[in-house]
Amino acid sequence: MDRRFLSALGEIYPGNRLLTRDVELLPYESDALTAFQTKPGAVALPDNADEVIATVRLCHERGVPFVARGSGTSLSGGSLPIADGLTIALNRLNRIKHIDPQQRIAIVEPGVVNLHISQAAQPHGLYYAPDPSSQSICTIGGNIAFNSGGAHCLKYGMTSNHVLGMNVVLADGSLTEFGGESLDGCGIGPDLIGLFVGSEGLFGIALELTLRLLPLPELYRTVLAAFDDLGQAGDAVSAVVASGLLPGAIEIMDRLAIRAAETVGANYPDAEALLIVELEGEAQQVEAEFAQLRELIDRSGAFEIRTAQSEDERARIWKGRKSAFSAVGRLYPDYIVQDGVVPRSRLGEALLKIDASKRRYGLEVANVFHAGDGNLHPLILFDGREKGALHKAEALAGEILAMCVELGGSITGEHGVGVEKRDYMPAMFSETELDVMLALRKAIDPREIANRGKMFPGGEAPALTMQGMHPLERQGVISRE
Amino acid sequence: MIASEKQIREFVGAHDRLHVRGLGSKPALHQVDAPILDMSALGGIVDYQPQEFTLTVRAGTPLREVIDALAEQGQYLPFDPLLPDSASIGGTVASNLSGSRRHRFGGARDFVLGAAVVDGAGQAYTVGGKVVKNAAGFDLAKFLVGSLGRYAILTELTVKVFPDVPQFRSLRFRYANLADALTASYAINSSHFDLDALDILPGADGAAVLARLGGFSDSLPARAERFRDFVAKTTAPQHIEGSKDELSLWDCVAGLGGACLAKVTLAPRQLLALDAAVDKAQRRYILAGNIAFVACEDADWLGDALAGLGLRGLLLRGGARSPLLGAPLENVLAARVKATLDPLGKLV
Repeated sequence: MDRRFLSALGEIYPGNRLLTRDVELLPYESDALTAFQTKPGAVALPDNADEVIATVRLCHERGVPFVARGSGTSLSGGSLPIADGLTIALNRLNRIKHIDPQQRIAIVEPGVVNLHISQAAQPHGLYYAPDPSSQSICTIGGNIAFNSGGAHCLKYGMTSNHVLGMNVVLADGSLTEFGGESLDGCGIGPDLIGLFVGSEGLFGIALELTLRLLPLPELYRTVLAAFDDLGQAGDAVSAVVASGLLPGAIEIMDRLAIRAAETVGANYPDAEALLIVELEGEAQQVEAEFAQLRELIDRSGAFEIRTAQSEDERARIWKGRKSAFSAVGRLYPDYIVQDGVVPRSRLGEALLKIDASKRRYGLEVANVFHAGDGNLHPLILFDGREKGALHKAEALAGEILAMCVELGGSITGEHGVGVEKRDYMPAMFSETELDVMLALRKAIDPREIANRGKMFPGGEAPALTMQGMHPLERQGVISRE
Repeated sequence: MIASEKQIREFVGAHDRLHVRGLGSKPALHQVDAPILDMSALGGIVDYQPQEFTLTVRAGTPLREVIDALAEQGQYLPFDPLLPDSASIGGTVASNLSGSRRHRFGGARDFVLGAAVVDGAGQAYTVGGKVVKNAAGFDLAKFLVGSLGRYAILTELTVKVFPDVPQFRSLRFRYANLADALTASYAINSSHFDLDALDILPGADGAAVLARLGGFSDSLPARAERFRDFVAKTTAPQHIEGSKDELSLWDCVAGLGGACLAKVTLAPRQLLALDAAVDKAQRRYILAGNIAFVACEDADWLGDALAGLGLRGLLLRGGARSPLLGAPLENVLAARVKATLDPLGKLV
């Protein structure tokens, strides 16, 4: 890395907050998509927004590319460093500045961990709704950059739907703010929040966020149904949706995922498919809806139905589902996961196609998906020690993404494009659409320094390697969904 | 008449400046000295998949047509478009106008999944997606919500829809003054009751909170009873009125007479100051005091009042220097999008 640039950085940061030695840079070489690794030129650890602004301005002035990084849980390589670029790690900007229970808002810095917001809001009977599976560790800044989802998106929307106001520094060092404390967000004029959220760090860095909080649901009712056939589980989802119910979560797991969940003691029925449906809200309403749901599930052909009668039983039903990914990792040395979306009514078709593809490749695939919004999570299993195995798995993953687009869906429902899926962008967007997006990027970041190499096809591809699971993933702290 | 995307592109190509208009239900937005691109003939539902909760519709389609088609399948537009009997869906999204029922699940931005557009350079393309969940590419579809046709022309929209509930109950709680009503609204809005709508109505003698519960018929009476008890206990209203749920109660701008009508975006903590500044106007607050509709005789007066409070408004009816009232809207990020999508500044 350029010495003069490093010395200018040294004027912003004391030595212990500017990492340049190989041994210090090592932990930042990859994010949760460990197949990609690149060594950054340096890592800066700002303490406050002013330092972030000064750093971005310096990068712009010198044309040095930078990546803003939170906890590094991106599943698309979104926070992968840029070779010889600067990684700006925002974890120290972790203050929850204000919780206003009356207005139901939280004002936070980007390095705050997602779950910490709900914990701070909990005494007021409130919570922050978006719940990506890595919520105990991922930061809100990363959630903003990638418009993260979770199991409850159908009813409550993704991250974008819960952001009311933002202060940001654009990639050229300009400062701007939009939205505010109103639940109407931007309200009047174009929805700049909607544009910035999900821009994968290509426009700049969010410095402060105003988030919408929701009242904690009074009651949850969770049902687990076991089927002899995956198609039957899919039909049950269709019946639930057609009935007019709007569950908070609808999840399906296939046989291999169920088998894997057994390794963490989920104690699920031995089945071809499991369906989990959860209702939440005001007690009397949920009870009435649950009676209706039970009738539908009773008629769905399930051979076993379990209903959670307590918070403990609910947690037990979710335990296997939530640890399915790390559990699969115990059965196989390596896996990669995609998060393509298909229209819900074509889920059955999509699963048949995945089945046919995996046979052709001679690979195993476990399926766990957010059935309510058609968001697939095929886990493609392989052994990275076998020569060419990773590339074969990548090829199968690409085929699955192409199928999602063909069926009218999307290449990503919640992980974002990052490095991993940038070559699939042309499958989903026309040349004109990609040109417009690129022109927009250049208008906002003329030197293309913010998270260079992400989202857009082409560019230098970092070498792919596979060295097993992320250490936190192996412990079940984070998961790839 | 403009009836195809091709004709829109030709219109853009043939003019140096132009202004987009749907059904013209918000006349204050169209006081522009530029050729009008009339979208009223570009109507019709393109694709409706009740099972998918998605609807694709041409921008000039009257809201009523959309609402009726959804109602046949027991579904609705949760962002509760304003002026359902006179506005088009494109105009409603482009001006980001929602009514009281927006309270339950969110506004237009929360339900727009994708769009087909023609930009200021005359290029046609799509933005966003057609499925309920999508995180690929920049979300220009959301950006265009509220953009007043000044960045790109919406020709088609894909929106998320939800199943509607069959029955409603409305309750009116009266308080001695607006401050008490606001305090009550705070308590109600952070409680676990799933309300369909929560409005605050200032009056000559005191103020009222108007709440609406929606749900299934067998649980609704008990829920309404429990909600009433909760509000009575926690907020001590002077009077409680349980009324039959009448649709007219929830047309949030119907009762607001006057030459001018504006939407104002605010935080509830700004409500009392706003109300004091515009107390000679008619007002109704929706979304627990986060959006105001204000009707008065002089829009410039209203604009000055909003500017003094750092608030922004959008004029729907009546004349003014600009339909954008109050604090300036200029933004560096918006300016760069404008330079990209409409480099010649054609769309006004």
